[in-house]
Amino acid sequence: MRQSYKIAILFLIVMGVFPLFSNSAWLAVGTTFLIYSVVAFSQDIILGRAGAFQMGQAVFFGLGAYTTAILNVQFGVPIIYTFIPAIIIPLILAIILAGPVIHLRGDYLLIATIGFNIIFIQVVQNNVFELTGGPNGIFGIDVVKIFGIEFMSQTAVYYMSFILLALTLWIMRNLDASKFGRAMFYINKDDIAAQSMGINVRYYKLYAFALGSAIAGAAGSMFAIQYSAVSPEAFNVVQSIMFFTIVLVGGSASLPGVLIGTFVMFVLPEIFREFATARYLVFGLAMILTMILRPRGIWPVKFGNIPNYLKKDKK
Amino acid sequence: MDIFLQQLINGLTVGSLYALVALGYTMVYGVMKLINFAHGDLVALSAFAGLTIYVQIFGEAKSSLFLVLGVFIITALLIAVVGVLLERLAYRPLRMAPRLSAVVSALGASLVIQNAIMLIWGPNMKIFPSNLFPSTIWTVHNVVFTFTQVMIMGVSAVLMIGLYIFINKTKMGTAIRATAIDQDAAKLMGINVNRVIMIIFIIGSSLGAVAGLFIGINYRGITFDMGWMYGLNAFVAAIMGGIGNIPGAMFGGILLGLFNAMISGYISSEWAQTFTFVLLIVILIFRPTGILGETIAEKV
Repeated sequence: MRQSYKIAILFLIVMGVFPLFSNSAWLAVGTTFLIYSVVAFSQDIILGRAGAFQMGQAVFFGLGAYTTAILNVQFGVPIIYTFIPAIIIPLILAIILAGPVIHLRGDYLLIATIGFNIIFIQVVQNNVFELTGGPNGIFGIDVVKIFGIEFMSQTAVYYMSFILLALTLWIMRNLDASKFGRAMFYINKDDIAAQSMGINVRYYKLYAFALGSAIAGAAGSMFAIQYSAVSPEAFNVVQSIMFFTIVLVGGSASLPGVLIGTFVMFVLPEIFREFATARYLVFGLAMILTMILRPRGIWPVKFGNIPNYLKKDKK
Repeated sequence: MDIFLQQLINGLTVGSLYALVALGYTMVYGVMKLINFAHGDLVALSAFAGLTIYVQIFGEAKSSLFLVLGVFIITALLIAVVGVLLERLAYRPLRMAPRLSAVVSALGASLVIQNAIMLIWGPNMKIFPSNLFPSTIWTVHNVVFTFTQVMIMGVSAVLMIGLYIFINKTKMGTAIRATAIDQDAAKLMGINVNRVIMIIFIIGSSLGAVAGLFIGINYRGITFDMGWMYGLNAFVAAIMGGIGNIPGAMFGGILLGLFNAMISGYISSEWAQTFTFVLLIVILIFRPTGILGETIAEKV
């Protein structure tokens, strides 16, 4: 059994029993941690695996959240039916948006995706078609109802997020073992070499964008359920930069790395809330120091993605 | 027609500021292939530091152009020192690391400078005094332009021409261009790459400092997080012109300033950022390395 499987299972067990030992404030932090981890993994598919510099992941996170919110509040669709559109719409939009710019080299793609995020925020804030609620966002999102049973307690929302994260981990595992995951790995290592080996770089990068955005959309939907409200600040460029940083501080394409990254970038600031003013100064210093001391992230991958048949001692 | 001419003046003013800041981005990118995300925050820092220097040291004296010049020089020197320190502490240890590590370090540095400004000067908006420059206003055919605007355009033009001559005609400029083309080869030719990078940061930061002071003088209100917005616009300008290309940054800055002003004047200022990025993305789709950028294949 590979090390990352062990870590994933251990992590799921710890997170599975976490609600038994925590109060409601920490349960809320735990839920958001689960949701942010899902977004961080979706960012990792695009940035860490396919190697496309995406700095606008909050767009697709936000699209999922706003899809659920708009369908539920403006059109009265039950939450459970909004999951599918909250996944499909970010997926389609990712292909439409990323398609024309996917060929751009690294930093140009980065600034183009920042652009997507800024455009998204302006569209939402200026209340296009009177759907998005402007700068205040949308309030009063319903609770999840399945067969007349209401899942409204905090613990229920926690476990729904938990299932979403478990599903994401399962997708990541399958991705690593599939043709798509291998292609992304080669593209990330050297896209020119990958292309000359006959890998369709454009196709696989778009595939990564589509998959990553669909997962982020699902996380967004869950985020809207947790807070029963959505507002533009939750999806601005700063959030995108946070997801981008999570992956790189933790370690690209590394399962424990992304989880540690989410913990460090999201849960630690929550713990140090008392030092409100100086907190981000220390935080910035810590980002610089981490990169100097561990340029590949806190827990980098070790040969993690090399398929078994390429290793010398295959067992 | 009056609106057009008025927005032309406004656009050239903003464009000159963008160009000054964009030069800092493009020079660092040209040599180090790094987006210096902290550059915008240096611009904000300069506005705050300049304000404090003006009020503390020259507060009692009657404002004169020489005095203001002194404030500009002291602030520019100060910000240049900060820029050099930034490179030493946050970027130099990562020169051999994967490229994205340096990007994260730059984002961290941006966070540090921004929050340092907030801790030192407080989270509220600070207001520049209005008496730094004479409040002379000229009106030509209903088109208004202020002394400050003329100063911004004039000083920026002089600085940019000076930089252009420095880069193209001097020995140090040649060394900078050589380092931008190939760092290792430049090293083999006896160029001190560390010194070149230091010079780049000195020039870039002091140009940014001048822009920061002008932003404070022209718009009066300064906030600790304003560096992000100016930095982003200037960076977009640098990319539009072709990043790494010095005339490109100047051209991109002016282009973006004019475009922004025309959008604000004729369509709506609420959507200004959206139009900016739509323009950027359209430019990148058709010219993936910017308008004046060379289309070179990536080295293998």
